[in-house]
Amino acid sequence: MPKKLLEIKDLYVNAGDKEILKGVDLTINKGEIHVIMGPNGSGKSTTANAILNNPAYTKMGGKIILEDTDITNLKTDEIARKGVFMSFQLPEEIPGITVSNFLRYSKNKVTGKPIKVFEFKNELKKHMEELQMKPEYSERYLNVGFSGGEKKKNEILQMLVLNPKLAILDETDSGLDVDSINIVSKGIEMYKNKNNAVLIITHNTKILHSLKVDYVHVLINGKIVKTGTGELASEIEEKGYKMFK
Amino acid sequence: MKTELDEINRNIYDIKNKDDYDFKIKKGLTREIIEEISRQKNDPEWMRDFRLKALETYNKLEMPTWGPDLSELNMDDIATYVRPKTKMTGNWEDVPEDIKNTFDKLGIPEAEKKSLAGVGAQYDSEVVYHSMKNELLAQGVIYTDMETAVREYPDIVQQHFMKCVPVTDHKFVALHGAVWSGGSFVYVPKNVKVEIPLQSYFRLNSPESGQFEHTLIIVDEGASLHFIEGCSAPKYNKVNLHAGCVELYVKDGAYLRYSTIENWSKNMLNLNTKKAIIGKNAQVDWVSGSFGSKISMLYPMSILNGEGARTEYTGISFAGKGQNLDTGFKVVHNSRNTSSLVNSKSISKNGGTATYRALVRINENAKGSKCNVSCESLMLDDISRSDTIPVNDVRTDEVEFSHEAKIGKISDKSIFYLMSRGLSEEDAKAMIVRGFADPISKELPVEYAAEMNNLINLELEGSIG
Amino acid sequence: MILNETPIRTAKNYEINNINIDDFSLPKNIKKFGGLNISGDVDKISIIEEKNKANLKYGNGEILSKQIENDSNVNLHLKVDSQDKKEITLEFNLSEENQNLVDDILIDGTENATATIVIKYISDRKGKFYHNGQIRVVSQNSSNLNIIFLNLLNKETENYVSIENVLDENSTVKYTIVDFGGKNSVTNYYTNLKGENSNNEINTIYLGTDNQLLDLNYIVEVYGKKSNINMNLKGAIKDKSKKHFKGTIDFKKDCKKAKGDENEYCTILSDTAKSISLPVLLCTEEDIEGNHGTASGKVDEKQLFYLMTRGLSLKEAQKLIVRGQFNEIIENIPDENIRDIVVEQIEQKL
Repeated sequence: MPKKLLEIKDLYVNAGDKEILKGVDLTINKGEIHVIMGPNGSGKSTTANAILNNPAYTKMGGKIILEDTDITNLKTDEIARKGVFMSFQLPEEIPGITVSNFLRYSKNKVTGKPIKVFEFKNELKKHMEELQMKPEYSERYLNVGFSGGEKKKNEILQMLVLNPKLAILDETDSGLDVDSINIVSKGIEMYKNKNNAVLIITHNTKILHSLKVDYVHVLINGKIVKTGTGELASEIEEKGYKMFK
Repeated sequence: MKTELDEINRNIYDIKNKDDYDFKIKKGLTREIIEEISRQKNDPEWMRDFRLKALETYNKLEMPTWGPDLSELNMDDIATYVRPKTKMTGNWEDVPEDIKNTFDKLGIPEAEKKSLAGVGAQYDSEVVYHSMKNELLAQGVIYTDMETAVREYPDIVQQHFMKCVPVTDHKFVALHGAVWSGGSFVYVPKNVKVEIPLQSYFRLNSPESGQFEHTLIIVDEGASLHFIEGCSAPKYNKVNLHAGCVELYVKDGAYLRYSTIENWSKNMLNLNTKKAIIGKNAQVDWVSGSFGSKISMLYPMSILNGEGARTEYTGISFAGKGQNLDTGFKVVHNSRNTSSLVNSKSISKNGGTATYRALVRINENAKGSKCNVSCESLMLDDISRSDTIPVNDVRTDEVEFSHEAKIGKISDKSIFYLMSRGLSEEDAKAMIVRGFADPISKELPVEYAAEMNNLINLELEGSIG
Repeated sequence: MILNETPIRTAKNYEINNINIDDFSLPKNIKKFGGLNISGDVDKISIIEEKNKANLKYGNGEILSKQIENDSNVNLHLKVDSQDKKEITLEFNLSEENQNLVDDILIDGTENATATIVIKYISDRKGKFYHNGQIRVVSQNSSNLNIIFLNLLNKETENYVSIENVLDENSTVKYTIVDFGGKNSVTNYYTNLKGENSNNEINTIYLGTDNQLLDLNYIVEVYGKKSNINMNLKGAIKDKSKKHFKGTIDFKKDCKKAKGDENEYCTILSDTAKSISLPVLLCTEEDIEGNHGTASGKVDEKQLFYLMTRGLSLKEAQKLIVRGQFNEIIENIPDENIRDIVVEQIEQKL
């Protein structure tokens, strides 16, 4: 019997006055990789933001359960500390705070206990090497002046350091060249184990070639219209979303 | 969720000593009072005449017609000269216990041991301690209090004293000229590089009084220096006045970095004047952190007189409850190929007012010059105020001038991003504010950066959320 | 005569708090003005000749306001109602016969009204004429007014203008201002963004040559939530001309989610021309976004070089680059003939 990690029940979400999600149901078990695909504006990013309870969105109905906890109305930082991570489509630039200082601070918050500087630096260095990031990036201000690709790698770096139970990757592959996509998928593989899970949000399928995906969900106009295995992605790649309309 | 503390705990800065002095001039400003100060200070005749002329100028000049309201300042309530019960010494052990304790708590003797090449400490109107490492002495560097300089280096002082900042500049400079006391004098000979900073610290303890220290620094051709100025005072109910004056002469090819961490108490009117005259291919960098005072009017100025002269200004001000910090930078490009770079930040919260007021003038003779200005203001709530008032006066064609300014609150998106990494809302905001101030604290020596971060934390405590 | 005070004072010796016109003499005995020509959809906009008695909050100083109050020789009240597209042109032609113009224009945009209004000041090429005018625009809920203001007077004429706009909810007032003419051209522009979601856009091009003095004092007070102000100025100065641009955006308390942008670029084409700018942001509300940028300098050398490798002379290349900067603003002018006149003036002046 697989262990449930995240369960979304009948979720309705608005952005301002606009209805975006219109009853989404989704269950993710430990050890699984899920993908949400869909055309632009279908509500993919809204789903990710709703899980982290971004105050810019309003939940109109439904529930989000992480393991045994109802996280629907928890604050973003509480959800993060319960082990949910989101890689942003457009990571924010925070001037004046270095990647290294920020991640150490954040790691302390997420784990709830102080980590030794030396230990942390080593871990950071290791992960940066794995992602082929230049070491000087750890002393640069968070995302400031990073290229699109560097920002995305920095998100994956944060995922590896914070080691969440559930990693939500919102369009992490968009705007990346082939090499970067390979590095990012390698990052996901390194992170993945039988006790955690990944939810990938994307509108293209490149990244899915190098990952073993368990489920693909097609989100159109705020609803999941079809769920299938990895093959569904290939089908969409061939035929587009027309077939669901 | 907002928890507001009326008065944040400024701990060490607020330790009051007994108002115990050797001599305190009676309050007010008359010819007799100026003559008495001059007598008490044993001025040479030229200085006595200088003071009296400055008083005349003071009486003629009008109050500023712009900027913060200074109506609560009444010179009849201010004692302009307070001599502490001690003579100047070069040994901390000789400084009276209560005064020494104050400087101990401010960390001055400790910093001297660790990271400074020389220290001056002023208590009320007189310098109580001055010392410098022997190596610098051997290289011909002079670092002493202003009174000693007037006595021992009369020619060089007379040649430079209030020539860079003439008493006619504005009313409070004239006041300064009349009642100045204390301050530091530095001379760095040609091609001498002073690698470790010198610091002067100014402490005003006496209530209803003023501090009018004069800092005169001459960095001769090809020489370099980093000078740090710190100031603080405990809080009293009535206003205190600070009208210091800083004159910097930086000769051809020389370099000076002038850093200030100003943390006056919140009853202080800080009307300070600082100006640098910069020679050919020379450079002056200003680093300025303004945290304290009730009202500040502070606009350091660089005059780029030599070809290829450069200047940078990096400043931050943090205006909290009851504070009106009107600060900024002035630069005049007066020669070819000069350049200036301005980076100013301000934070206002809890009803404080932060104003960036500035002047850039690029004169007809400054072809090939460049000036870039960037200012950013952060509003932490909707009861505070933030203004940006820059005058840009460009009088020739071959220049590159640009100015950018931004006002706003901390972005919700940034807060969400940091919260998604496990930071609470307060932590996220505090982190963004610290990051905002980082370009400034980075410019300071480690100990002072730590002091500044402390001040920011003190200011933020209980007010963010 | 001291004119055009800024809302915030700076040190006197910066000489930007106001403008002092030394050789000013107020023309007496203002005669009837016969140089007005109104064209376009005159049947769709009601135009009444009447005194407007508008008291502007800022304006161009007491002497000039008094003159408009007592001695105006053109008084127009334009009433714009209905949504259908309409365009009207008021052309004022100063000449030997009509030397002095003191005009008072009120534009009333009623609810949902839409219109383009071109206000054009031209003159004989030679002659010392005089213009002192005020325009008040009231833009009621959801109205949409597009105002094209052209100052193409000759370089001997005195030109004083005060503009005031009051914007109600969801209304938009867009200005395109061409400020080329006048010996002294002094403009006081004030907008009150009163209503929620109101939107004011100002696009100005200015050009100073010879001894021209341009004094532009633009003030916008932001009261309405989610309101928006966008000030965009492009200009060039050469010879011994002087330009003062004073732009103030004042975010008042409670104008939550309002946005303000102020940008000026001044190209300096001679080493005797002077540009002063004072881009002020005032702010007592946290939840806003305010930005300003100002820059000045000569024409970009890389651009010049690029064009010169394509065979253009230095002057031609400069002209082309300045025109390029002006183009996006000129394109706002709907009437092709007027666009041509503006472009022609740029050619002449540069």
